Amino acid sequence: MNAIELNHICKTLGEFAIQDLTLAVPSGTICGLVGENGAGKSTTIRLLMNALRPDSGSARVLGTDVTAPEFRKVKEDVGVVLDEAYYPETLTAAQVGKVMAATYRRWDQGAYEDYLRRFDLPGKKPFRDFSRGMKMKLAIAVALSHQPKLLILDEATSGLDPIVRDEVLEIFNEFTREEDHSILISSHILSDLEKLCDYIAFLHQGRLLFCDEKDRLLESYGVFAGTAEQLESLREEAVVGREASGFGGVRALVRREEVPAGLELDRATVEDIILFMVKGAKQ
Amino acid sequence: MKALILKDFYVIWKQMRTFIVVILLLAMMNSAYYMVFLVVWCSMLPYTAMAYDERSHWNQLAAMMPYSKRDIVLSKYVLGWLCMTAAGLLCLVIQAAMGCFFENVVSVSVLLTSLCVGVISLDIALPAVLRFGVERGRMIFMVMIFGVAIGTGIVLDMSDTLPSISLPVMALLPLAAVIATAVSLPLSMKLYEVN
Repeated sequence: MNAIELNHICKTLGEFAIQDLTLAVPSGTICGLVGENGAGKSTTIRLLMNALRPDSGSARVLGTDVTAPEFRKVKEDVGVVLDEAYYPETLTAAQVGKVMAATYRRWDQGAYEDYLRRFDLPGKKPFRDFSRGMKMKLAIAVALSHQPKLLILDEATSGLDPIVRDEVLEIFNEFTREEDHSILISSHILSDLEKLCDYIAFLHQGRLLFCDEKDRLLESYGVFAGTAEQLESLREEAVVGREASGFGGVRALVRREEVPAGLELDRATVEDIILFMVKGAKQ
Repeated sequence: MKALILKDFYVIWKQMRTFIVVILLLAMMNSAYYMVFLVVWCSMLPYTAMAYDERSHWNQLAAMMPYSKRDIVLSKYVLGWLCMTAAGLLCLVIQAAMGCFFENVVSVSVLLTSLCVGVISLDIALPAVLRFGVERGRMIFMVMIFGVAIGTGIVLDMSDTLPSISLPVMALLPLAAVIATAVSLPLSMKLYEVN
């Protein structure tokens, strides 16, 4: 079963448009949603949670159509962390816990308090006095404390220091050890996604450029470093994107299957693939 | 919906303490006018909660949680009704206690009248606040509260005390409150969905 399915979703918001977005995240996997600011990641998440109605197309989460009345119950199984925590500023973490206990039927107060301790969050300090990192940690603690089957995380790790970020990524990894647990995570920190994800989906200007298994993606591409003449000798279809690397040299992302077998290529990271693709699209 | 009311209660708790002090002081004035004014004034508390919601973009997060739009809208009405009832009862208790020392004590019928006026105020202002946001909606509310205050003053000037208002008018007010709520609630839900 797919945890998330988007089928031919179109949505126009002023000058921006999500165009024919089709995406599936298999249950039990972690999918990283990548894209520049304004690429449509947050809009996609809002469409997924039925906070926004598409102009056309359909979306299913945990097997339920998001426009169906039953979807409200399904939301109990979905933990969401948005790019900001969005709790009213006068609330304390303890009060947030009480509100959430009345919101979610499977709220686990013990787990919540454990997360507060683990993240070093004070129970009685008003939310307005929290740093951005603390706010995000509170949102993550809430998302994890109602026994969700799916986590939808929109820039959830931004604002966290590297040590806490690492700890949070480990928590997300632990979460998907359960067979039916899945995560959709959008982030600008591509190294995090490379560490965490099974699938990478790349949104560019409202279009899905690809959604593929991370390992297959990393195997499919390589980074060429050499002279412009050497690069010109490769087939045009082999080169995804290029950049000058100083002293007349060039770096380019190439498709391994399109270049001669003996050509020496560096390993491409997810960041290389995304950056070169964006540059390729602009060129 | 319980969660949403609880959240609003935590958010406005500081303001509520100020309201309680003002209610205690004004209720001692032993006047029907102050009871109407205080009850209508307490119907403002949902807008304070909504102002905090707006500032924190709470609605974006609420849309991700298992709350229905109906619950989100209805919770604001229920919060208003609870605040008004609490203010009215507090006033009544204080004024009843004052009755031991003074004559001309306000009655339960004044409390009911106050609640009806408060409910109607809420029914008029809430859709506007949901549609235009708290800042612009609050302006509408301010115009209304001054209207209610002046109107009540004029009526009381003419009739000395509210209980002496003729029975049909007293019976019509609850009916008007029910009709206003029946119109206002679906309208608010529609406007909330549009936003």
